[in-house]
Amino acid sequence: MPRVLTFKVNIETGKQGPNETVNFNFNGHKMPFENVIGSNEPDSIFEGSFDVNSFAHSLTLVGPEKGKWDIDKITVDYQCEGEDPYVVKWGAVTLDETTEVNLWQDPPVPAFDV
Amino acid sequence: MNFIKRFFSGMKQEESVSEPVKPVESVSEKIEPNPSPAPEPTESATAFSDAPPAPRTVIHAPALKDSVFPEESEQILIKAQPSPTGDQCMFTVNRVLMADCSWYFDSFESAAESSLAESLFSLDDVETVLVCESTVTVTRKDKTLIDWVPLAKEIGGAIRGALEEGRPLIAEKIISSIPTEEVIRAGIQKVIDEEVNPGVAGHGGQINLLSVKGNSVTIQMGGGCQGCSAADLTLKQGIHTSFRKAVPEVGAIFDETDHTAGLNPYFS
Repeated sequence: MPRVLTFKVNIETGKQGPNETVNFNFNGHKMPFENVIGSNEPDSIFEGSFDVNSFAHSLTLVGPEKGKWDIDKITVDYQCEGEDPYVVKWGAVTLDETTEVNLWQDPPVPAFDV
Repeated sequence: MNFIKRFFSGMKQEESVSEPVKPVESVSEKIEPNPSPAPEPTESATAFSDAPPAPRTVIHAPALKDSVFPEESEQILIKAQPSPTGDQCMFTVNRVLMADCSWYFDSFESAAESSLAESLFSLDDVETVLVCESTVTVTRKDKTLIDWVPLAKEIGGAIRGALEEGRPLIAEKIISSIPTEEVIRAGIQKVIDEEVNPGVAGHGGQINLLSVKGNSVTIQMGGGCQGCSAADLTLKQGIHTSFRKAVPEVGAIFDETDHTAGLNPYFS
Protein backbone atom coordinates (compact mmCIF):
# COMPACT_ATOMS: atom_id res chain seq x y z
CA MET A 1 0.00 0.00 0.00
CA PRO A 2 1.33 3.40 -0.88
CA ARG A 3 1.74 6.46 1.28
CA VAL A 4 -0.98 8.91 0.27
CA LEU A 5 0.32 12.46 0.19
CA THR A 6 -2.92 14.16 -0.76
CA PHE A 7 -6.20 13.41 -2.45
CA LYS A 8 -8.86 15.61 -3.99
CA VAL A 9 -12.49 14.71 -4.64
CA ASN A 10 -15.04 16.08 -7.04
CA ILE A 11 -18.56 14.86 -6.26
CA GLU A 12 -21.54 15.50 -8.51
CA THR A 13 -24.76 15.34 -6.50
CA GLY A 14 -27.98 14.24 -8.18
CA LYS A 15 -31.58 14.89 -7.19
CA GLN A 16 -31.16 14.40 -3.44
CA GLY A 17 -28.45 16.05 -1.37
CA PRO A 18 -28.26 16.64 2.37
CA ASN A 19 -26.37 19.97 2.21
CA GLU A 20 -24.31 19.13 5.27
CA THR A 21 -20.61 18.83 6.05
CA VAL A 22 -18.97 16.21 3.86
CA ASN A 23 -16.79 13.79 5.80
CA PHE A 24 -14.41 11.08 4.74
CA ASN A 25 -13.07 8.12 6.69
CA PHE A 26 -9.36 7.42 6.38
CA ASN A 27 -8.15 4.26 8.12
CA GLY A 28 -11.15 4.54 10.46
CA HIS A 29 -10.68 8.23 11.26
CA LYS A 30 -13.65 10.38 10.29
CA MET A 31 -12.70 13.88 9.18
CA PRO A 32 -14.17 16.76 7.16
CA PHE A 33 -12.63 17.81 3.88
CA GLU A 34 -10.46 20.89 3.58
CA ASN A 35 -10.26 23.48 0.80
CA VAL A 36 -13.97 22.99 0.18
CA ILE A 37 -15.62 24.49 -2.88
CA GLY A 38 -19.34 24.06 -3.54
CA SER A 39 -21.69 21.83 -1.59
CA ASN A 40 -23.64 18.59 -1.70
CA GLU A 41 -26.98 20.27 -2.31
CA PRO A 42 -29.09 18.68 -5.06
CA ASP A 43 -27.60 19.19 -8.54
CA SER A 44 -24.42 20.71 -7.10
CA ILE A 45 -20.74 19.91 -7.28
CA PHE A 46 -18.62 19.49 -4.17
CA GLU A 47 -14.85 19.72 -4.22
CA GLY A 48 -12.58 19.09 -1.29
CA SER A 49 -9.13 17.77 -0.55
CA PHE A 50 -6.98 16.63 2.34
CA ASP A 51 -3.22 16.31 2.89
CA VAL A 52 -3.08 12.85 4.42
CA ASN A 53 0.61 11.91 4.48
CA SER A 54 -0.16 8.42 5.69
CA PHE A 55 -0.46 4.88 4.38
CA ALA A 56 -3.90 3.99 3.08
CA HIS A 57 -5.65 0.94 4.43
CA SER A 58 -9.13 2.27 3.70
CA LEU A 59 -10.70 5.48 2.45
CA THR A 60 -14.44 6.04 2.26
CA LEU A 61 -16.88 8.88 1.75
CA VAL A 62 -19.24 8.96 4.72
CA GLY A 63 -22.97 9.14 4.05
CA PRO A 64 -25.13 11.93 5.45
CA GLU A 65 -26.18 11.99 9.10
CA LYS A 66 -29.79 12.32 7.98
CA GLY A 67 -31.58 11.70 4.70
CA LYS A 68 -30.24 10.42 1.42
CA TRP A 69 -27.46 11.58 -0.84
CA ASP A 70 -27.74 10.70 -4.53
CA ILE A 71 -24.31 10.86 -6.10
CA ASP A 72 -24.04 10.85 -9.87
CA LYS A 73 -20.28 10.72 -10.17
CA ILE A 74 -17.18 10.75 -7.97
CA THR A 75 -13.74 11.67 -9.26
CA VAL A 76 -10.72 11.29 -7.01
CA ASP A 77 -7.22 12.59 -7.79
CA TYR A 78 -4.55 10.83 -5.76
CA GLN A 79 -0.96 11.81 -5.18
CA CYS A 80 1.00 9.01 -3.57
CA GLU A 81 4.64 8.82 -2.61
CA GLY A 82 6.78 7.28 -5.34
CA GLU A 83 3.86 6.99 -7.78
CA ASP A 84 2.64 9.08 -10.67
CA PRO A 85 -0.57 10.99 -9.87
CA TYR A 86 -3.63 9.03 -10.92
CA VAL A 87 -7.37 9.57 -11.20
CA VAL A 88 -10.20 7.16 -10.41
CA LYS A 89 -13.84 7.72 -11.36
CA TRP A 90 -16.94 6.04 -9.96
CA GLY A 91 -20.55 6.11 -11.11
CA ALA A 92 -23.89 6.60 -9.40
CA VAL A 93 -24.44 5.58 -5.79
CA THR A 94 -26.88 6.57 -3.04
CA LEU A 95 -25.69 7.06 0.53
CA ASP A 96 -27.64 7.38 3.75
CA GLU A 97 -26.95 7.43 7.48
CA THR A 98 -26.00 3.74 7.49
CA THR A 99 -23.59 3.67 4.56
CA GLU A 100 -20.27 4.93 3.27
CA VAL A 101 -18.78 4.40 -0.15
CA ASN A 102 -15.28 3.22 -0.94
CA LEU A 103 -12.95 5.88 -2.35
CA TRP A 104 -9.70 3.95 -2.31
CA GLN A 105 -8.05 2.28 -5.22
CA ASP A 106 -4.43 1.25 -5.41
CA PRO A 107 -2.25 2.94 -8.01
CA PRO A 108 -2.71 1.31 -11.42
CA VAL A 109 -0.33 -1.46 -12.35
CA PRO A 110 2.12 -0.12 -14.91
CA ALA A 111 1.22 -1.02 -18.48
CA PHE A 112 3.25 -0.76 -21.66
CA ASP A 113 2.59 -0.97 -25.38
CA VAL A 114 3.65 -4.12 -27.21
CA MET B 1 -17.89 28.25 58.04
CA ASN B 2 -19.07 30.45 60.87
CA PHE B 3 -15.48 31.38 61.64
CA ILE B 4 -14.85 32.36 58.04
CA LYS B 5 -18.06 34.39 57.90
CA ARG B 6 -17.06 36.20 61.02
CA PHE B 7 -13.55 36.89 59.75
CA PHE B 8 -14.76 38.56 56.55
CA SER B 9 -17.86 40.30 57.83
CA GLY B 10 -16.17 41.94 60.86
CA MET B 11 -18.47 43.61 63.34
CA LYS B 12 -21.56 43.01 61.22
CA GLN B 13 -21.47 39.41 62.21
CA GLU B 14 -23.23 40.20 65.33
CA GLU B 15 -26.11 41.76 63.44
CA SER B 16 -26.46 38.85 61.06
CA VAL B 17 -26.40 36.41 63.89
CA SER B 18 -29.01 38.38 65.71
CA GLU B 19 -31.39 38.18 62.75
CA PRO B 20 -34.18 35.75 63.28
CA VAL B 21 -33.65 32.50 61.55
CA LYS B 22 -36.35 31.78 59.08
CA PRO B 23 -38.19 28.59 59.65
CA VAL B 24 -37.26 25.78 57.33
CA GLU B 25 -40.85 25.36 56.24
CA SER B 26 -40.99 28.84 54.72
CA VAL B 27 -37.93 28.13 52.62
CA SER B 28 -39.32 24.87 51.34
CA GLU B 29 -42.53 26.59 50.37
CA LYS B 30 -40.65 28.85 47.96
CA ILE B 31 -39.13 25.93 46.10
CA GLU B 32 -41.37 25.22 43.17
CA PRO B 33 -42.14 21.59 42.63
CA ASN B 34 -40.66 20.13 39.46
CA PRO B 35 -42.89 17.29 38.34
CA SER B 36 -41.41 17.13 34.80
CA PRO B 37 -38.64 14.55 34.21
CA ALA B 38 -35.03 15.54 33.67
CA PRO B 39 -34.51 17.07 30.22
CA GLU B 40 -33.02 14.87 27.50
CA PRO B 41 -29.30 15.46 26.98
CA THR B 42 -28.66 17.71 24.03
CA GLU B 43 -26.65 16.61 20.98
CA SER B 44 -23.66 18.56 22.17
CA ALA B 45 -23.79 16.81 25.53
CA THR B 46 -23.68 13.39 23.89
CA ALA B 47 -21.00 14.28 21.36
CA PHE B 48 -18.27 12.97 23.64
CA SER B 49 -20.11 9.97 25.01
CA ASP B 50 -18.23 6.73 25.29
CA ALA B 51 -20.59 4.85 23.00
CA PRO B 52 -18.95 4.30 19.60
CA PRO B 53 -20.95 5.31 16.53
CA ALA B 54 -22.85 2.56 14.82
CA PRO B 55 -20.66 1.01 12.09
CA ARG B 56 -21.67 1.89 8.56
CA THR B 57 -21.80 -0.51 5.66
CA VAL B 58 -19.14 0.14 3.04
CA ILE B 59 -20.63 -0.02 -0.43
CA HIS B 60 -18.89 0.10 -3.80
CA ALA B 61 -19.90 2.38 -6.61
CA PRO B 62 -19.36 1.15 -10.17
CA ALA B 63 -15.92 2.12 -11.42
CA LEU B 64 -15.85 4.21 -14.58
CA LYS B 65 -12.92 3.37 -16.81
CA ASP B 66 -11.76 5.40 -19.73
CA SER B 67 -10.50 3.48 -22.76
CA VAL B 68 -6.74 3.03 -22.78
CA PHE B 69 -6.73 3.41 -26.55
CA PRO B 70 -7.59 6.32 -28.83
CA GLU B 71 -11.07 5.91 -30.29
CA GLU B 72 -11.50 4.16 -33.64
CA SER B 73 -7.87 3.50 -34.36
CA GLU B 74 -7.32 1.38 -37.45
CA GLN B 75 -4.05 0.04 -36.09
CA ILE B 76 -4.03 -3.00 -33.82
CA LEU B 77 -3.03 -1.59 -30.46
CA ILE B 78 -2.04 -3.85 -27.56
CA LYS B 79 -1.20 -2.94 -23.98
CA ALA B 80 0.56 -5.36 -21.65
CA GLN B 81 -0.11 -5.21 -17.92
CA PRO B 82 1.79 -7.67 -15.71
CA SER B 83 0.02 -8.64 -12.50
CA PRO B 84 1.44 -7.31 -9.22
CA THR B 85 2.47 -10.85 -8.33
CA GLY B 86 4.28 -11.20 -11.67
CA ASP B 87 2.90 -14.65 -12.43
CA GLN B 88 0.68 -13.53 -15.29
CA CYS B 89 0.30 -10.70 -17.75
CA MET B 90 -2.89 -9.32 -19.25
CA PHE B 91 -2.89 -8.02 -22.82
CA THR B 92 -5.67 -5.62 -23.77
CA VAL B 93 -6.37 -5.28 -27.48
CA ASN B 94 -8.47 -2.63 -29.24
CA ARG B 95 -10.39 -5.43 -30.95
CA VAL B 96 -12.95 -7.96 -29.73
CA LEU B 97 -11.25 -11.34 -29.57
CA MET B 98 -14.14 -13.40 -28.19
CA ALA B 99 -17.56 -11.79 -27.90
CA ASP B 100 -19.57 -12.25 -24.67
CA CYS B 101 -17.62 -15.37 -23.66
CA SER B 102 -14.19 -16.48 -22.54
CA TRP B 103 -12.08 -19.59 -22.89
CA TYR B 104 -9.20 -21.06 -20.93
CA PHE B 105 -6.51 -22.94 -22.87
CA ASP B 106 -4.35 -25.06 -20.60
CA SER B 107 -2.18 -26.74 -23.23
CA PHE B 108 -1.04 -26.60 -26.87
CA GLU B 109 -3.40 -29.48 -27.68
CA SER B 110 -6.40 -27.53 -26.41
CA ALA B 111 -5.50 -24.71 -28.82
CA ALA B 112 -6.17 -26.76 -31.95
CA GLU B 113 -8.05 -24.76 -34.63
CA SER B 114 -7.93 -21.60 -32.46
CA SER B 115 -5.41 -19.46 -34.34
CA LEU B 116 -4.89 -17.01 -31.50
CA ALA B 117 -4.06 -19.67 -28.93
CA GLU B 118 -1.99 -21.66 -31.44
CA SER B 119 0.18 -18.61 -32.10
CA LEU B 120 0.68 -18.00 -28.38
CA PHE B 121 1.52 -21.61 -27.55
CA SER B 122 4.15 -21.57 -30.28
CA LEU B 123 6.16 -19.34 -27.94
CA ASP B 124 8.38 -21.36 -25.63
CA ASP B 125 7.52 -19.78 -22.29
CA VAL B 126 3.71 -19.63 -22.56
CA GLU B 127 2.01 -21.99 -20.11
CA THR B 128 -1.71 -21.08 -20.20
CA VAL B 129 -3.88 -18.65 -22.16
CA LEU B 130 -7.19 -17.12 -21.13
CA VAL B 131 -9.11 -15.22 -23.81
CA CYS B 132 -11.91 -12.98 -22.53
CA GLU B 133 -13.64 -10.47 -24.80
CA SER B 134 -10.80 -8.06 -25.76
CA THR B 135 -8.15 -9.37 -23.38
CA VAL B 136 -5.68 -12.23 -23.31
CA THR B 137 -4.14 -13.30 -20.00
CA VAL B 138 -1.01 -15.41 -20.20
CA THR B 139 0.87 -17.32 -17.52
CA ARG B 140 4.47 -18.29 -18.15
CA LYS B 141 6.31 -21.51 -17.46
CA ASP B 142 9.35 -19.91 -15.89
CA LYS B 143 8.03 -18.52 -12.61
CA THR B 144 11.43 -17.16 -11.60
CA LEU B 145 11.41 -14.44 -14.26
CA ILE B 146 9.78 -11.19 -13.21
CA ASP B 147 10.54 -9.03 -16.23
CA TRP B 148 7.69 -9.53 -18.70
CA VAL B 149 8.90 -7.08 -21.35
CA PRO B 150 10.78 -9.53 -23.65
CA LEU B 151 8.04 -12.19 -23.62
CA ALA B 152 5.28 -9.56 -23.73
CA LYS B 153 6.70 -8.16 -26.96
CA GLU B 154 6.70 -11.65 -28.50
CA ILE B 155 3.13 -12.22 -27.33
CA GLY B 156 2.06 -8.85 -28.71
CA GLY B 157 3.51 -9.83 -32.07
CA ALA B 158 1.74 -13.20 -31.95
CA ILE B 159 -1.64 -11.61 -31.14
CA ARG B 160 -1.19 -9.06 -33.92
CA GLY B 161 -0.19 -11.79 -36.37
CA ALA B 162 -3.24 -13.90 -35.52
CA LEU B 163 -5.56 -10.94 -35.98
CA GLU B 164 -4.03 -10.04 -39.33
CA GLU B 165 -4.14 -13.63 -40.54
CA GLY B 166 -7.91 -13.60 -40.62
CA ARG B 167 -8.48 -17.22 -39.47
CA PRO B 168 -10.99 -17.86 -36.66
CA LEU B 169 -9.33 -16.77 -33.43
CA ILE B 170 -11.32 -19.30 -31.42
CA ALA B 171 -12.34 -22.67 -32.82
CA GLU B 172 -15.99 -23.05 -33.79
CA LYS B 173 -16.20 -26.30 -31.83
CA ILE B 174 -15.25 -24.40 -28.66
CA ILE B 175 -17.84 -21.69 -29.15
CA SER B 176 -20.57 -24.21 -29.89
CA SER B 177 -19.65 -26.28 -26.82
CA ILE B 178 -20.21 -23.46 -24.32
CA PRO B 179 -23.28 -24.36 -22.24
CA THR B 180 -25.94 -21.95 -21.05
CA GLU B 181 -25.42 -19.69 -18.04
CA GLU B 182 -27.86 -21.80 -16.02
CA VAL B 183 -25.78 -24.94 -16.59
CA ILE B 184 -22.58 -23.09 -15.65
CA ARG B 185 -24.22 -21.58 -12.56
CA ALA B 186 -25.58 -24.93 -11.37
CA GLY B 187 -22.23 -26.67 -11.85
CA ILE B 188 -20.20 -23.96 -10.13
CA GLN B 189 -22.66 -23.65 -7.25
CA LYS B 190 -22.51 -27.43 -6.75
CA VAL B 191 -18.72 -27.47 -6.55
CA ILE B 192 -18.77 -24.47 -4.18
CA ASP B 193 -21.25 -26.17 -1.88
CA GLU B 194 -19.76 -29.64 -1.96
CA GLU B 195 -16.03 -29.07 -2.34
CA VAL B 196 -14.79 -25.51 -2.01
CA ASN B 197 -16.74 -24.19 0.98
CA PRO B 198 -16.24 -27.31 3.12
CA GLY B 199 -12.51 -26.92 2.39
CA VAL B 200 -12.19 -23.24 3.32
CA ALA B 201 -14.61 -23.52 6.25
CA GLY B 202 -11.78 -24.89 8.39
CA HIS B 203 -10.16 -21.46 8.10
CA GLY B 204 -13.40 -19.58 8.69
CA GLY B 205 -13.72 -18.81 5.00
CA GLN B 206 -16.61 -18.81 2.60
CA ILE B 207 -16.92 -18.46 -1.19
CA ASN B 208 -20.02 -16.98 -2.78
CA LEU B 209 -20.99 -17.12 -6.45
CA LEU B 210 -22.02 -13.57 -7.37
CA SER B 211 -22.81 -13.83 -11.06
CA VAL B 212 -22.40 -15.78 -14.27
CA LYS B 213 -22.09 -13.95 -17.58
CA GLY B 214 -21.68 -16.16 -20.59
CA ASN B 215 -19.28 -18.76 -19.23
CA SER B 216 -17.39 -16.27 -17.03
CA VAL B 217 -18.07 -16.43 -13.30
CA THR B 218 -17.60 -13.86 -10.57
CA ILE B 219 -17.08 -14.95 -6.99
CA GLN B 220 -16.58 -13.21 -3.68
CA MET B 221 -14.45 -14.49 -0.82
CA GLY B 222 -15.87 -13.90 2.64
CA GLY B 223 -15.26 -14.73 6.28
CA GLY B 224 -11.67 -15.64 6.99
CA CYS B 225 -10.77 -15.49 3.27
CA GLN B 226 -11.48 -11.75 3.03
CA GLY B 227 -8.22 -9.92 3.61
CA CYS B 228 -6.22 -13.13 4.11
CA SER B 229 -2.72 -12.99 2.70
CA ALA B 230 -3.15 -16.47 1.23
CA ALA B 231 -6.38 -15.60 -0.60
CA ASP B 232 -4.62 -15.29 -3.96
CA LEU B 233 -3.06 -18.74 -3.54
CA THR B 234 -6.40 -20.22 -2.48
CA LEU B 235 -8.07 -18.65 -5.47
CA LYS B 236 -5.60 -19.71 -8.13
CA GLN B 237 -4.50 -23.11 -6.88
CA GLY B 238 -7.64 -24.22 -5.11
CA ILE B 239 -10.76 -22.59 -6.45
CA HIS B 240 -9.71 -22.28 -10.10
CA THR B 241 -8.62 -25.92 -10.21
CA SER B 242 -11.84 -27.16 -8.61
CA PHE B 243 -14.03 -25.05 -10.88
CA ARG B 244 -12.27 -26.11 -14.09
CA LYS B 245 -12.25 -29.77 -13.08
CA ALA B 246 -15.97 -29.77 -12.30
CA VAL B 247 -17.05 -27.47 -15.16
CA PRO B 248 -14.43 -27.63 -17.94
CA GLU B 249 -16.33 -25.07 -20.03
CA VAL B 250 -15.91 -22.31 -17.45
CA GLY B 251 -13.86 -19.40 -18.80
CA ALA B 252 -12.71 -16.42 -16.80
CA ILE B 253 -13.04 -16.52 -13.01
CA PHE B 254 -13.21 -13.07 -11.47
CA ASP B 255 -12.78 -12.35 -7.78
CA GLU B 256 -14.66 -9.26 -6.65
CA THR B 257 -13.56 -9.45 -3.05
CA ASP B 258 -12.44 -6.19 -1.51
CA HIS B 259 -9.76 -7.54 0.76
CA THR B 260 -9.42 -4.22 2.62
CA ALA B 261 -13.11 -3.59 3.33
CA GLY B 262 -14.87 -3.96 6.65
CA LEU B 263 -13.86 -3.22 10.17
CA ASN B 264 -11.79 -6.32 10.59
CA PRO B 265 -10.78 -8.10 7.40
CA TYR B 266 -9.52 -11.66 7.91
CA PHE B 267 -11.34 -13.55 10.63
CA SER B 268 -13.79 -10.74 11.24
